[in-house]
Amino acid sequence: MSEINKNDNIIEVKDIKKWFPIRRSFSEIFKGKQRYIKAVDGVTFSIHRGEIFGLIGESGCGKTTTGKLIMKLLEPSHGQMIFNKEDVTHIKKEKLSQYRRSVQMIFQDPYASMNPRFKIKDVLEEPLIIHKMGKDRDERMEKVKQALLKVKLTPAEEIMGRYPHMLSGGQRQRAATARTLILSPSMIVADEPVSMIDLSTRAEILHMMKEVQRELNLTYLYITHDLSTARYFTDRIAVMYLGRIVEMGDPDDVIDNPQHPYTKALIAAVCEPKSGKVNIVKEVPIKGEIPSAANIPKGCRFHTRCPYAKQSCIDNPEPELVEVGPNGHLAACSRYIDIKSEHPVL
Amino acid sequence: MNENNEKILQVNNLKVYYYTSKGTVKAVDDISFFLRKGETLGLVGESGCGKTTTGVALLKMPTPPGKIAGGEIIIDGQNIVELSEKEVRKNVRWEKIAMVFQGAMNCLTPVYTIGKQMMETLTEHKQMNKEDAKKLIVKYLNLVGLPEHIVNRYPHELSGGMKQRVVIAMALFLEPKVIVCDEPTTALDVIVQAQIINLLKDLKQKLNLSFIFITHDLATEAEVSDRILVMYAGKVAEIGTNQQIYGKQGPMHPYTQKLLKATPRIHEKVDELSFIPGTPPDLLDPPKGCRFHLRCSEAMDICREKEPQLIEVEKDHCVACWRCTKNV
Amino acid sequence: MTFKDFKDNIRNFLKDFFSYKSGVVGLVLLLLFLVMLAFGGLLVDFPQASSRWRDITYWEDNPVSAPPAWTNWFSKQKSAKHEVIGSSNIEEKSIGSMKMITYSFKYDYSYDLAPNDIVVKAEGSGSPIVKISVQRPDGNTINLYSSSTGFKSDGTLRVSLNGDAKANVYDFITDFESEDVLSNFNMNDLIPCNVIFSKAEENIVEKANALKGKYIFTVSYILKNDSDTVTNSVINFSGRVYGVFGTDASKRDIWSGIVYGLKWALIIGLLTSLTSVLIGVFYGVICAYYGGFVDSIMQRIFEIFVSVPLLPILIVLSAVVKPSIWIMILMMCVFFWTGPVKTVRSMALQIREETFVEASKALGASNARLIFKHIVPILLPYSFATMALSVPSAIVYEANISLIGLGDSTIVTWGQILHDAFTGGAVLKGMWWWVVPPGIMIALMGMTFAFIGFAMDKILQPKLRTR
Repeated sequence: MSEINKNDNIIEVKDIKKWFPIRRSFSEIFKGKQRYIKAVDGVTFSIHRGEIFGLIGESGCGKTTTGKLIMKLLEPSHGQMIFNKEDVTHIKKEKLSQYRRSVQMIFQDPYASMNPRFKIKDVLEEPLIIHKMGKDRDERMEKVKQALLKVKLTPAEEIMGRYPHMLSGGQRQRAATARTLILSPSMIVADEPVSMIDLSTRAEILHMMKEVQRELNLTYLYITHDLSTARYFTDRIAVMYLGRIVEMGDPDDVIDNPQHPYTKALIAAVCEPKSGKVNIVKEVPIKGEIPSAANIPKGCRFHTRCPYAKQSCIDNPEPELVEVGPNGHLAACSRYIDIKSEHPVL
Repeated sequence: MNENNEKILQVNNLKVYYYTSKGTVKAVDDISFFLRKGETLGLVGESGCGKTTTGVALLKMPTPPGKIAGGEIIIDGQNIVELSEKEVRKNVRWEKIAMVFQGAMNCLTPVYTIGKQMMETLTEHKQMNKEDAKKLIVKYLNLVGLPEHIVNRYPHELSGGMKQRVVIAMALFLEPKVIVCDEPTTALDVIVQAQIINLLKDLKQKLNLSFIFITHDLATEAEVSDRILVMYAGKVAEIGTNQQIYGKQGPMHPYTQKLLKATPRIHEKVDELSFIPGTPPDLLDPPKGCRFHLRCSEAMDICREKEPQLIEVEKDHCVACWRCTKNV
Repeated sequence: MTFKDFKDNIRNFLKDFFSYKSGVVGLVLLLLFLVMLAFGGLLVDFPQASSRWRDITYWEDNPVSAPPAWTNWFSKQKSAKHEVIGSSNIEEKSIGSMKMITYSFKYDYSYDLAPNDIVVKAEGSGSPIVKISVQRPDGNTINLYSSSTGFKSDGTLRVSLNGDAKANVYDFITDFESEDVLSNFNMNDLIPCNVIFSKAEENIVEKANALKGKYIFTVSYILKNDSDTVTNSVINFSGRVYGVFGTDASKRDIWSGIVYGLKWALIIGLLTSLTSVLIGVFYGVICAYYGGFVDSIMQRIFEIFVSVPLLPILIVLSAVVKPSIWIMILMMCVFFWTGPVKTVRSMALQIREETFVEASKALGASNARLIFKHIVPILLPYSFATMALSVPSAIVYEANISLIGLGDSTIVTWGQILHDAFTGGAVLKGMWWWVVPPGIMIALMGMTFAFIGFAMDKILQPKLRTR
């Protein structure tokens, strides 16, 4: 972690937005109104080369969409993406192909992310064929074997001949990781890579991913809803709510000293394997339900659920990320100082 | 939880086997436990350990090709394994014991309103008239924290958390004594999860219910269950109280210990998360001796030969491990 | 995939295939059909049946509307089978400047019901005098025919006794038949064959008893001069029953029709189903994959094709162009491709959303690769099943077209046989052998492909193989 150069950003995302247009009724078309599902609504962050950056949030917060935007599986509606100092917001063909070699993805469901009719060797060979790497089949198979060895999926020869359903969840995720490594990328987007894997194997997979990162000097964007593993795995985290980042910083700072009310609620809600909590009704400082991304609340979008919201939160424009602590700890709450003094225990 | 409360559910030597074309999978192989009135017993283990199979077996509904191959399930003094399907359907299921299934919110039919679906159970099962049924439905919806107008909504109009509350209400309103919850919060977001757990605790207190809470997540189990039963490869590894398993002393069975170590804690900074190498055994042909011995770092010779019995090492604390029980 | 993988795949596939009884049955049936197709020429007596189906002269010598020969097993009274007898003896005699060639024919009659007709044939030229007589086992000899008969321009001569021997046979029966019966009987109603082969006793015209035994027919040709020649004289005993499937009202051998119809059935079935399913599947995949505007336009085009009724178009077409089987196949392909489109589109839409498709896209896969390597293979089971099931569809459709008379008249298909059967009143006349065989063949063909299709469907499903 000490090797991370804070000034060397592999990717910079500036005010990126992804708005999905909603089908309009005739009267709406007539009036010229267009409504959108604002899945990602102005996200700005940078990832340093060689770091593991965690994107945390619940379902519907936009973290997966952000991941897809970075993977260029979706085109942004607004904003800029800069990769290795080059603007990659809207690129096609040759440049896009190059980009795809550099940025790879590990999906949440290790079984669904591989074609069940392909043998593992075919699954891993596919990226080589697409990018025309390797002169002939033998050379490609050698690369496949090397990739499997890197993720410690052995015996490699035997694994190559199996189908995905013949592997366990953990083995599949290793194979999926091998698939991302085979093109020697510089960055990997991991979307909930361990949430569908058994507890006892989770740490194993994360451990393998960390080793691979160190060996190959990779950068990870780690997307998850599980704050507990994020603490172990990431170097920096950003918490998302309804399409925007509400808090960002060092995992220790964010988890031990959260400044945004949403982060506070999230942390309060997480279960811990400690005794003595059985008969206590846990206090989670949040109310209501998450609003629809088609109807973002006015002002601070969290105000409808915030237990500390005041009129100013509705009237004033949406708060931007400001420094709330050392080490680049940022939060988007206009009243964070007041809340600290009003509720000192938290 | 009062230790002197009566036992409301007793399971003795339960065996549930899946008879497949490849052979017999001994998914649940001779387990015994009990549930006291007003307590929550947590059934915890990894995928394939048999916890879901146990759950559905308690309602005498093993998924085909599974069958209850032996043992007793005594609810309210009656061994339901002996009863016919008809009797179970009429008098036991949902009346004495109900279940909240995994992914239950996806079990709501999308083409009927919530009210109609809830009504159906009452009018068919208990032959209630519509008036009384409606009153009961509203009572339980309020109890789970939902407003009355939900009866007119369709499932797709509700959020995941609300759907889960509806399903919990549906499990309750025939007023059963035991409720089996199979991973009720796994598919939910963190905050909604906390809210549902709070709801279950609230209901337990208000209605003096007894729960069996099945999950693979040790952290959730800690906040919910009074006693915990750890399953591995179809057998019971350890049963203990919340304090005994999660307290300072820590669990005794090597598997439980390792599992606990592998559970990340949000407020603890760790450099390395531990894991258990290997995978659970194939239940078509389980290993001789203790089923965990292949992955256990402390396996002794006897572990490889003979299966350990579940022995009480202290009050309310039983372990099935040769190393732990050799001094007892 | 390497060659070894390919071989493995085929071996596994065949192993799977043979484990399904339905597949085996289907395959066996298909093999039988293919054998019939290959050796068809050898199995039938009329090798030119297909091209000369509508040529009356080709079928002249067959009996009309005769049931199959094997029906004899089921009836107490045995009907005379169809036989062509060559001469056992040829004698030449000179009578002055004229020559007389006498052919003798031995016919062993052991049936209860006489042949439909006796036809004497010869090749030659000119106009000889032909004398025909028969010596019966009971010793009686009937002079059947005696008159000058000319050879046709193609050098053939035919004398049908049922037509031309009435008077002579009538004379014969007057010898022993009672006066009462004769007075009520009209000579034109007389059927010479029935008399020739019956016992000479009273009531022969009403209720005849068969006279079994050896008959000797003598045919003499008196060649008056050099322009009269004769060779190769045979007698055709037109059976009351005929062959494997009997004959129809136009004397055509139905068995030949069935065998040659097989070729066309397979061509129509396979061509139509292959082409239409191929087009339909690709159409559906393209719609689903590209979505949006492309999908909308393609769906509208599809709807147009689906709304157009094929039958009126074929009727109009037949008024303009001479109906040919190839045009019919073309039209069927043009309109049948719509069948799988909607289902394939739904399936492809689902597959498109699968994570592994997204994963491949993230790796940089091209559209072509996603379509052909990921989406289409999953659609193969459905495609094969559809292909198998549309084969009988196409055949029946052609049969229906022929039924209403729009078929190709230069070939014979099972549908056409059915058409002729219905217009010929087969059902009314109880000629089951005209209707049932083509019907059963169509059904069998359908069954064959259906079984093969079902077996393949079960195998090619992306089921979990745990070997």
